[in-house]
Amino acid sequence: MTLSLRARVLVTVLAALVLAGAAVAYAASARSAKAAKDRLAAVPSAPVGNGPRLQVLTNGRLSTVSSADPGGPREVTALACDRAYAAAGTVACLKPAGPLSATSLSVMDASLKERASVPLRGFPNRLRVSASGRMVAWTLFIDGHSYATTGFSTQAGILDTRTGRLVKSLEEFTITLDGRTYRNPDANFWGVTFAADDNRFYATLSTGGRRHLVEGDFAAGTVRTLRDNVECPSLSPDGTHIAYKSAIGGDPKKGWRLSVLDLTSRRVTPLAETRSVDDQPTWLDDHTIAYALQTGDGTNNIWSVPADGSGTTRLLVPGANSPAPSGSPASR
Amino acid sequence: MFRRKAFTAVSAAAAAGAALITAVTLSGGVANAATTTFTPVADTYVDNSTTGTNYGTSAQLGVDNSPVKRLFLRFTVSGVSGTVTSAKLRVHTDDVAGAESPSGGTFRRMSNTTWSETGTTWNAQPSIDGATLGTLGSVARNAWYEVDVTSYVTGNGTYSIGVTSTATDGADFDARESGSATAPQLVVTTGTVSSPSPTVTTPPPSGDPVLVGAGDIADSGSGDTATAALLDNIPGTVFTLGDNVYTNGTASEFNSYYNPTWGRHKARTRPVAGNHDYNTSGATGYYGYFGSSAGDPTKGYYSYNVGTNWHVVVLNSNCSAIGGCNAGSAQERWLRSDLTTSGRPCTVAMWHHPRYTSGANHAPDTSVAPLVQALYDNNADLILTGHNHQYERFAPINPSNQLDTTRGIRHFVVGSGGAGHYSFGTILANSEVRNSDTYGVLKLTLHASSYTWQFVPQSGRTFTDSGTTNCH
Repeated sequence: MTLSLRARVLVTVLAALVLAGAAVAYAASARSAKAAKDRLAAVPSAPVGNGPRLQVLTNGRLSTVSSADPGGPREVTALACDRAYAAAGTVACLKPAGPLSATSLSVMDASLKERASVPLRGFPNRLRVSASGRMVAWTLFIDGHSYATTGFSTQAGILDTRTGRLVKSLEEFTITLDGRTYRNPDANFWGVTFAADDNRFYATLSTGGRRHLVEGDFAAGTVRTLRDNVECPSLSPDGTHIAYKSAIGGDPKKGWRLSVLDLTSRRVTPLAETRSVDDQPTWLDDHTIAYALQTGDGTNNIWSVPADGSGTTRLLVPGANSPAPSGSPASR
Repeated sequence: MFRRKAFTAVSAAAAAGAALITAVTLSGGVANAATTTFTPVADTYVDNSTTGTNYGTSAQLGVDNSPVKRLFLRFTVSGVSGTVTSAKLRVHTDDVAGAESPSGGTFRRMSNTTWSETGTTWNAQPSIDGATLGTLGSVARNAWYEVDVTSYVTGNGTYSIGVTSTATDGADFDARESGSATAPQLVVTTGTVSSPSPTVTTPPPSGDPVLVGAGDIADSGSGDTATAALLDNIPGTVFTLGDNVYTNGTASEFNSYYNPTWGRHKARTRPVAGNHDYNTSGATGYYGYFGSSAGDPTKGYYSYNVGTNWHVVVLNSNCSAIGGCNAGSAQERWLRSDLTTSGRPCTVAMWHHPRYTSGANHAPDTSVAPLVQALYDNNADLILTGHNHQYERFAPINPSNQLDTTRGIRHFVVGSGGAGHYSFGTILANSEVRNSDTYGVLKLTLHASSYTWQFVPQSGRTFTDSGTTNCH
């Protein structure tokens, strides 16, 4: 990305503000204090600018960029995650699995101090924190590695950070399919997204060769199917729309398209992104969707696209994935 | 602005999209030279007053001593043939007040050529550990400066250059993100091109032995057909890297999927067993199909020689099936003995589960670490594996994945044999080249004291990767 001269001057001005100590360090303050001793100019390492931040992963390292200049300088921490999300001061991280060590969910506060850790089995895939920061939901691959194949299995879990209630698998929940109580050992869940009440949620249920959008009730332990061929739902901040991926022609082997479902009118709007996206989209605001795509050499890039089907795609953060609009660091 | 009158621009086509190729024909047409200009594939700087900040997307590159700023440049030189007679690094100072400096910095080689443009920070920066290439004195704003790097850039390859400054009033250069008119340049001139225009020339057959193959091969899809067609045109010994058939390694799968494709070359194939082959108990489908070519069915590890200088070791990373891969296991003891007695100066080893991989689906496998250690202790040169369905090449590394240009072993993951591709996860240090969208085979030409690798892509695809490294 090319910065205009004006933008460069702006960055310089913002950097000057940082040097004046106007911004608050995002990462652990202990490290900043230690590093300060080694520096000629005793100033904390801090994000450039103090506005809202977008949390991302830079080659598996938890990072943030300015929401106003997401392609600009970024803060990169040493924390390794396979997938991360953040909302309202809750940072969630699915840690990489080693050959002999399983993954785990780490729930941290905004200064990356761990508040909870949940040992898990499988390969990290999706992760969400509800808008209030209370509910954390994740998806792991247990067998297989791709939604495009048959024979894979996933496990989706939810942690209520307020009560400590842990649901390790949504397969424990009672399923109502097409209006009738349903049981099938082949049921797999993935891609959970929470509503503002921190109880209602949406997810994908795969069973009997169909992939359903389900609406769930966390307190009641129930889910019911709403419609077919909706995967990895993501509820808009205002709760009126769901962004999701749907298999082209109902066949995941052909790839996925991003679309938005209006929950009131049930109308579906395909988005301007025409490449196959295998990600759980996220809403940057009520009008903009973000998601990651990987190039053939393994480079991840975060893109954005208008949520109403108009416009074009935009490269938002090069060399990053797992986007989460995490709010202002100063408010943490 | 670097073209001189006699220069004729011929082609701007370059595989990486990073090179502007200018061919030069001198009068008389006797001696020919070609100049190729490369822009960086990555550039960034770090600042010790913002220790966790990455500036990889910035249009500016700072070098300074207060605060301390260091800048890093990486170029990939490709498509250059003949002797490099001149290599010049050119950098342009930014057209803003303050870009000027009493010192443009000291330019040095770096051994690390795999640092991340968007992940490098003061806290996580590559070491500027090589010889000094040159030092720039006073620099003005909005001007070009040149450093002779001929001693470093001697041919195709990837080159990293780090810049530091002792000036408290540092310089600001334009980064690659500033656009092609001001981006840093590496201008490479060769003096002994045999034809007037730069063409990709295939070296004449050397007669050296060839090993060719891949892993993760045959299923009901068409990838195996595409890679088998490549083997039809490449002579030599065929290797596999395990997961020869999907999903369960049954005799029926070998007959249905492998035999009509890679099976055409069975008579010249020396296979490796993978986890899917062992989905049939004892891998009886695998051993039944390949017979004595696969070695002792109770072991699955064996070795053979190629040409006069090369030793090939086939190991079995399905460790639990054969009593382990740990130090002191039967396989590890056999390996050490085999390497000690082989008497060949060059060694390539192969098995299924990668010790190092950036693949998203299978983590680096520590259970094979004792085998890697035994190979390193005995100065082996190459390790080939599969398991993750993609292609990845590492720099020569020690058993802890640290760059080791003296005794390091080059690791390859060649899981591109035909099974559906996997994506990449976190890219490991020293991973030099990756691809996850092209089926293909790795061709190794085994010279007397070096090897040349070439990734040969399926028909219709362009990704490739090649190079030569000496044995040690």
